[in-house]
This record gives sequence, C-alpha cells and structure tokens, in this order.
Amino acid sequence: MSRAQDMIGTWIGWTFFADLAKGLGLTFGYMFSKTVTMQYPDKEKWLPYSRYRGHHFLKRDEEGEIKCVACELCARICPCYCIEVVPYEDEKGNRRPIKFEIDTARCLFCGLCEDACPADAIALGQQYEFSSFSSRDLVIGRDDLLAKPGKAATGGGVVAARLNTENDVLVETNEPQGYNWWRNIRRR
Amino acid sequence: MELVVALGLIVFKVALLIAILLLLPLPLTWVERKIAGHIQQRMGPMRVGWHGLLQPVADGIKLLTKEDHIPTEADRFLFKLAPILALAPPFVVFVAIPFGESVSVLGNEITLYVSNMNVALLFVFAVIGLEVYGVIIGGWAANSKYAVLGSLRTCAQMISYEIPMGFAVIGVVMLAQSMSLLEIVRAQADVWNIVYQPIGFFVFFVAGLAEAQRIPFDLAEAEGDLGAGFHTEYSGIRFAFFMVSEYVIMLLVSVLTVILFFGGWNGVLIPLPPLLWFALKVAFFVYLFMWFRFTFPRYRYDQLMAIGWKVLLPLSMANIIITGIAFS
Repeated sequence: MSRAQDMIGTWIGWTFFADLAKGLGLTFGYMFSKTVTMQYPDKEKWLPYSRYRGHHFLKRDEEGEIKCVACELCARICPCYCIEVVPYEDEKGNRRPIKFEIDTARCLFCGLCEDACPADAIALGQQYEFSSFSSRDLVIGRDDLLAKPGKAATGGGVVAARLNTENDVLVETNEPQGYNWWRNIRRR
Repeated sequence: MELVVALGLIVFKVALLIAILLLLPLPLTWVERKIAGHIQQRMGPMRVGWHGLLQPVADGIKLLTKEDHIPTEADRFLFKLAPILALAPPFVVFVAIPFGESVSVLGNEITLYVSNMNVALLFVFAVIGLEVYGVIIGGWAANSKYAVLGSLRTCAQMISYEIPMGFAVIGVVMLAQSMSLLEIVRAQADVWNIVYQPIGFFVFFVAGLAEAQRIPFDLAEAEGDLGAGFHTEYSGIRFAFFMVSEYVIMLLVSVLTVILFFGGWNGVLIPLPPLLWFALKVAFFVYLFMWFRFTFPRYRYDQLMAIGWKVLLPLSMANIIITGIAFS
C-alpha cells in the first residue's frame, strides 16, 4: 500500500474513532479477565519458596540437642550486629549457647549468618508474618528460635489464610506452581 | 379535595425523586470502583460486606464523621454556601425529566414525571448552567491556589461546552417540533433520533462528558497538577456534597442522552416494561462513562478548548443546517 493510501486510511480511522474504539476494546477485554489480586490476609496467602529468607530458626541434631556450638561467627559476620551469643558448657562438656538473641528489628535478612555457620545450626526459614506493635517483641531468644518454622519444602503456592495468621504459618501446598506462577493468573 | 390529592402526589413524587437521587450515588461509587478494579485486573472493594457492597455505606459514615475543616483564610459564608449551590441545580433539573408515560396504581393513572413543561429542554439547560456557580464560588472561597485554578478551568470548560451542547439538541427539537421532553420521546416511537442525528449525538455526548467533569475532560480536578481542583480544601460532608453532585450530573447526562437520542422508554425487539427499558439504557450510558474513565488519558487544557470551539461547535452548527435541509 502506498504512503498516501496509508494516510487516507489513518484519517478515515480517526474519523470513526478507530483508535479510541481499540482502546475501549482492550479495557473491555481486561474487565472480564481474571484478576491478579491475592486477597492476602482475608482469604489467600502466598507460600514462599525454599530459597526464601524469612524469619531465622535454630536447628536441632538427631538427639534433639541444639546444633549451635556458640562459635559466635554469625554474630561476627552480621552486618548490623543484631545477633548476640553467650556460650556455656553443658553437662556433656559441649560448647552451647546459653543466650542466643536476634534483634529482628535490626536484621536485614541477608542470610550471611546461615552461610557463616560451621555447624549448620542457623538458617532463614519461611515465616514472614512477624510484625509487632513493639520493637521489644522483635528480640527473639533461643527457645523461640528453636520453635520457629523451617524452610519451605515446596513453595510457590497459594493457600487459604485467615486474618489470624498464628495458626497458618506451617501450611504446605500440594500444588507448587513453579517459577512462572504469575503466568497462570494472567488472562488466557 | 382533588387539589389536595394532586398537591400531595407532587410532594410525594419530589420526595421520592430526592431520596432516589441522594441514594443512587452510593451504589454508583461501588460500581465505579468495581469497574475500575476489574479493568485494571484488580478486584475493587472486597472487605466490607459481600464483595464490598457495604463499602459506600462505610465511606458515607467516614465522610460524615470526618472533621469539617474550613481554612482560616477562607470566606466562611461562601465556603459553606458553595456545596449547596453545586448540589441543588442537578436535583432541580430532574423535576423536568420524564421517566415514562404513566403507571396505574390502585386504578389511578400516575404520571412518571413531576411536571410536563413545554420548555423542559430550555429549563434543563438553564438550570444545569447554574451549577457552575457552586464550582466557582467553592474554588474562590477556599482561598487556595489549586482551588482557584481548578474552578477557573471548570468555568471556562463548562461555559464553552454548553454552547455546542445547546446547539446539538436543536436538531432533536427540529425533529420533534417541541421542546417538551415528553413530546421528544413520543416522536421517537418508531425511529430513534440516533438514526437521524448521529452527529448531534456525538457532539452532545462529548460535551456531556465535559459537562460532567469526567475523564477525558476532568481538567477541573486533574489530580496530577491541581490536587483535587475546586474541592481541594473541602472535607467531610461538604466534600460528599460535591461528589453527590458530580454523580447526579453524570446520571443526568446519561438520562438526557437516552431521552434525546435513544428513544427514552421506547423499547426495541424485546417487550420489556418501559421503565425498565429506560433504566437499562441509562445504566448502559453510566457504564460507558465509567468505561471511558478508565480507558482514556486526560486532554491537555488547550486541546480541550480546541475540541470545544474548533470541532464540536462547527459540527453542531453543521448538524443544524443538515437537519434543516434534510427534514424541511
């Protein structure tokens, strides 16, 4: 098609608002497409992948004893100095932490403590709902850290959620949606 | 005795009309937010009530309990007067609007309009023009630069768009040989005016968009550059007045479009009750307004004026001439 015909076609299109109609058609299509909203605290909740760096947790060994040897390497490598470890000698003669405190208000969740740990004792788990009204409550001690949920086994799913999130922390999904999860909620 | 009954009927109709018009913006805000959400692949309000149906009630309670703030530098009397001046004209206009012929209740024929004026169209345009006073007084009284700029823009826009709007309906009046809205609808019993007056409809609807301050012509309250235009300084219930007025005008433009160009309560193909046909058509145009809002960007101010004076006005005049030649 020649350029003159092209221009005439464009002008005819403009006269009958072809461009505006195209835009309206697009928004109309989106209006009846699936929404991408996740109704987070009300109904649904996102489960993180196993690589996710959420709240810290301390691990136990096979005998149920804390794995931490209180070497204080995590406290040393921590870029914001939010870990405080005090060692003691337990009845078996092992070096263990008597005090292991993480100030999550200051923590930046870089995961360096996990990398530095020689005993594979500390890691960052799947929990991400630990907001609080007081920054005092964000200082987590040894026993609380032992009770925190570990890393997600499968991740990337949507599970039912309630406004009271306390009880829903440990939910695992059966249908991991994979890395391209967002493709599934876009319109067809 | 008959006079008392007739008077009582009119009072009842007016009260009903006011109640409907005051309450209708509530579901309309919900609908608008839902449409906005779904066009943007969101859900809109979901938390208050079933699918957020009670959201407008919550918003209303919020607006009623908010602090009614008046700036220290404001002109207190005019500041309080402006919302009422903006709210009253759109309500008054509905006195002249027919919603149908008549219904029989308990054996009595009750007309579905408050008054059948023979100059209804003129009345509508005269009264709707008064709404601009509320806007300019509101903007001026607040003593804020954003409000003044917004009200100046609104005034210029409303005045320039009322002219093509007025010219656009002349074609309709020529076809119906009457200015009574009832006669205009009756004249469209066979063929709707949109068939004879496509240009008139286009000009009227675009000017109506500008008149109702809706996107793409919502320069008066362009959030990006003016805060909120003339009601920047308003809060609480006074702000709600402006919002209600805006929604009633949107409704009014839809109703006028239906009456003037889309056959009013005359149905086509499917035999539905006339009032339902009317409501369906109005609902479609209200939806169109909201659909436009979340599709198109805002025009620049000089473009707005150019469209009004250089496109719509010549088009509407040409429409009068064409109608005159074709139907003389």
